[in-house]
Order: sequence, then C-alpha cells, then structure tokens
Amino acid sequence: MPPEPHDHEVCRALFARLSELIDRELTPAQSRRFERHLRACRHCQVCAETLRRTVELCRRAGESPVSGGLARRLQAMARRLTAAGGPPTAD
Amino acid sequence: MPTGTRAKPGVKDEDAELIRAINAGEGHRFQQLVEKYQQKLFNFGLRMCGEARDAEDMVQEAFLNAFRYLEGFRFETRFRNWLYRVAMSACLKTKRKARATRAETLSLEDFFPEDPAAMPEDVPSWARLPLERVLSAETSRYLQEAILDLPADHRSVLVLRDMEGLSTAETAQVLEITPANVKVRLHRARLFLRSRLKEHFEHAP
Ligand SMILES: [Zn+2]
Repeated sequence: MPPEPHDHEVCRALFARLSELIDRELTPAQSRRFERHLRACRHCQVCAETLRRTVELCRRAGESPVSGGLARRLQAMARRLTAAGGPPTAD
Repeated sequence: MPTGTRAKPGVKDEDAELIRAINAGEGHRFQQLVEKYQQKLFNFGLRMCGEARDAEDMVQEAFLNAFRYLEGFRFETRFRNWLYRVAMSACLKTKRKARATRAETLSLEDFFPEDPAAMPEDVPSWARLPLERVLSAETSRYLQEAILDLPADHRSVLVLRDMEGLSTAETAQVLEITPANVKVRLHRARLFLRSRLKEHFEHAP
C-alpha cells in the first residue's frame, strides 16, 4: 500500500472516540469522517478491530451458575421475609 | 433509596405487574423475583467482586434490601435497573478490602501509541479469526482477572455496559453519573482490557 498523506491528528481524534464509533453513538457526519479515515489508515484499522474484538469478548464471556447452596439460602430467606409480612430485621 | 433520573413515562417494565401484586399483599410472590434475577445478580457480583463468596453475600444482601425498599419503588426506572443499583450498594458493602486494584486511574494518553511506526500494520489473529476460535475458557478466565484489575468506578461501567448489556443512559441512571461520564470511563476501561488481551494473546503459545 503506498503511503497516504496522513493526518496524525485524525488518528488521535478517532482514538478518543473509537468506542462511540463502535457503539454507533456518533452523529452521521462524525461517523463518515472517521470511516473515511479508517479506510485509509492501517494503524487505526488495527486499533478499531482489536477494540471491537475486546467488546465482543466481554459480551460473550460465559455465565457461572448459581450454586445449589446459594439458591437454597435465597429461597429460605425469601420465605422467611414474606412470612414475617413486614420489613425484616437483618440477621 | 435514591430514585435517580426519571425514565420516560410509558417505559415498559416487564416486572411491573408482579411488583404491584407483591406490594398489594401477595408477598409470597417475592420468591418469583428472586428466582428470576438470582443468576443475573450472582454473575454481576462475580464480575464486580471476583470471589464467589463475596458475590453470594452480595446477592443475599441485595435481595434483602430489594425486599425492604420494594414498597417505595415508584416505577421511575425499570425494576431490573433499580435492582442493579441496590446490588451495587450491596457490593460496596460486602466487598472485602483484600483485593487492591492495580490501576488506580486510567488516562487516554496511556493507551495512545506515541510512535505509530511501532504499531502493527496487520490486524492480529485474535481480532481477525471468528470469535468462537478465540473465546476459550482460559481467555474468559484471563478476561475476568483483567476486569478485576480495573479501578472500581471503571469496572462498574464496563460490567453494566458490555457484560450486562445496559445502554449508556441506563448505566448512567444506575450509577448516578452523566452519560458523558459513562462513555469516558467505558472507553478507557475497554482500552485497558484491550492492552491486557494483547499481552495475553501475544504470549500465548
Ligand atoms: Zn489513523
């Protein structure tokens, strides 16, 4: 790829707002400006793709199941609270 | 319990009917709320505290407070988000002070590459391959550890936005900070995790 005339200040501006770009929280004009820069700048592409993947990994991180012990404790607590009728006192 | 920013009128809350019934005397149905949200709150607790024991204490404390304050719930926010706020307070209370976070503050400048020439020109495989090939149990564990190293005020934003799936506005409401603040903290938290993931994948065999 031939070196493009490169405006490092746009890299900096994009870097500051990359999450908003990923989350589609920018105005259409802002998005267009950054998307145009992204197409031309490999460094910013790497930045954007690694950040996007970071978000995906967070979103897809697995859930741990509630232990039987906790489920039973909660069930007993709910029963105790609602049997008392009113606001409980902490045990 | 603070009420926070009012939600727009007409916001649909899938739990409204159940809560009205509980507050109208069907107290035994509180159990349904517990069963519905225990899994969610437990995982929220794990992500915030790291230790299963702390998370379990937090869940119990949160449901106890939810029961106490349920009568005062005014449907000004979605019940789920109100519960997150109750859980967050419980979290601060139950969290043992044992674990000190490594990063105290995060600044954008720390993550901006000063020398762009030193940056890779190609998207690394961990960001390029299909997600299923990248997301292993080991990576999940590593990510959880990295999340625990975030400063607490950044961790709460990241967990609510990127793991619990709340919007920027909802997160702002739960944490009682401005949406602009949510965005700033979220971005820094993500950059922090990205640099940790980079280390993880670059040193992987
Ligand atoms: Zn650039």
